Amino acid sequence: MKSKNLSEKILRSVKSKGFKYIDLPSVIEANHIVQRSGENFRKFIFSFEDQNGNELCLRPDLTIASCLRYLENNLKSKEKIFYSGQAYRKSNNKKDSIIRDQVGFEIIGSKDEKNDDKEIINTALKSLSNLKYSKGTLKIGNVEIFNLLILKLDIPRRWKLRLSRHFWREEYFNDLLKRLESNSDVDPTIVEVDKKRYLKMLKDNQQTIVAGRSIEEILKRFSNKIKDPRRTSRGKNVSKIIKEFLKINCPINKAAEKLNIFFKKNKINLVVDQKYFPISNNKIQKLNVEFSASFGRQLEYYTGMVFKIDIKSKSKNINVINGGRYDKLISDLGSTKQVPAVGAALNLNY
Amino acid sequence: MIKNLINIGIPSKGRLRKDILKIFKKNKLHLVSERGERDLLGSIKNLPNVKILYLHAREIVERLGDGSVDLGFSGYDLLKESEVNIQNKINVVKKYGFGRATLVVAIPDPWIDVQTVADLEEIAFEFKDKKKKRLRVATKYPNLTREFLFSKGVTQFKLVSSLGATEAYPFTGSSEIITDITSTGETIRANNLRVLKDGEILKSEACMMTSRLALKNNAFKRIVKLFSK
Repeated sequence: MKSKNLSEKILRSVKSKGFKYIDLPSVIEANHIVQRSGENFRKFIFSFEDQNGNELCLRPDLTIASCLRYLENNLKSKEKIFYSGQAYRKSNNKKDSIIRDQVGFEIIGSKDEKNDDKEIINTALKSLSNLKYSKGTLKIGNVEIFNLLILKLDIPRRWKLRLSRHFWREEYFNDLLKRLESNSDVDPTIVEVDKKRYLKMLKDNQQTIVAGRSIEEILKRFSNKIKDPRRTSRGKNVSKIIKEFLKINCPINKAAEKLNIFFKKNKINLVVDQKYFPISNNKIQKLNVEFSASFGRQLEYYTGMVFKIDIKSKSKNINVINGGRYDKLISDLGSTKQVPAVGAALNLNY
Repeated sequence: MIKNLINIGIPSKGRLRKDILKIFKKNKLHLVSERGERDLLGSIKNLPNVKILYLHAREIVERLGDGSVDLGFSGYDLLKESEVNIQNKINVVKKYGFGRATLVVAIPDPWIDVQTVADLEEIAFEFKDKKKKRLRVATKYPNLTREFLFSKGVTQFKLVSSLGATEAYPFTGSSEIITDITSTGETIRANNLRVLKDGEILKSEACMMTSRLALKNNAFKRIVKLFSK
């Protein structure tokens, strides 16, 4: 970890931007994590049981602890908060430390999204100015553009949802594209056999529940699925468009222009304004500012703007800051309403 | 010297035990138990440095991992389900053709809209988004199940650990789907379940395994060789 002095300087920088310091619990209920990210997150968390058999875990990151605080205290108004402390994660990579020292800051519950995005990036830049480095990059992406593009493509709705859901998992996403090209998800012989069964089941009581799903629900999805009209050639074309989109990479001031050329060329009815991006300068401090269409894939919970800052210090490339917008995180954790949230975290272990 | 004692683990019950005992017979190794059939300790006639331990097949893997059993017979599925730290300490010396079974994902047969794991992935998200619940998967193999489902894109689910009769879970409200080990698929079908088209997680069979912590002296090598016929 960097010296105490440095982390204090960083905390002062964040505070000077009008953020309020909060303390967060180190131990949270594991159920929250599984609820948010599904079972796979168990691989990363250190969990244990309390005397009543409730599963608890060490916080795997501070963002989730902070969102839980917002939710559990039933907060409704806008909050600008920051915090520092350790997060704990298992890793298969021996080089990774189990304990991660982080400083994080967030704006939660505010509807002024574009300005909040800018403020978080500016705060990140201000805290960065405490570090010594020779050069670096600020990479900006936006998951929203990808999702809008998918909505405009000529593929069944099931496929749109599927592609949006798995954007963040690159390997599996590429598998999906391959499947989209070959149209192999509906087996015609099985469909014929099941059609008979479908007709028979139509006569059953539609409200009967089979393992958590009603007959009505099952039959509806079956009928939607076999009606999916899709030709292989079309799937191939869509896959080509997506791949081309993901290759877009340019200085930030060219982002809107490049995207609009791409949309026009592929006859997609979308236009992006340069003001959509939080920054339009290609150079800030010692950082080159870039746009990348594929960036934002690392974490499932980002829903809009995402950014990261990598710096070069003592000839090493270091990822120091990661951040973005996660408007669905608090509702995934159990809030009935969607609460806008944007934030970033500084990694102090390097 | 007591350190020269070699511990051999044999499954204490079931089909696997019967088949393993046949191997001993075939190799002309005569098992002796002082207190009869139910004795959980035994020896091999004319091999004073060998102790036989009759253990649960899952426990044989654990004991190989901590070195208290040097040589053991168990299922490949149980080895693969164990923690990485344990797997790293075990060598598979021989795979036998018997005890073959497959770990599979099975769903309620009336779910006619679900044929593949990709369908299941959609259903899992429907449970999350519309029902605000997680799709529950009952299993005796949480580690293998989690890895498999995740690699196939199913991320939104919750594991329910089961100790037996897993096939009944979807119909008693304890889970929606299951993963289980099966050799013929009969029990799965008989319980109104169906294996997904691409729902094969792992093929298993009976194996002879050795602990990497075992002293690899000549006496040990001789013992391993005794089973090679």
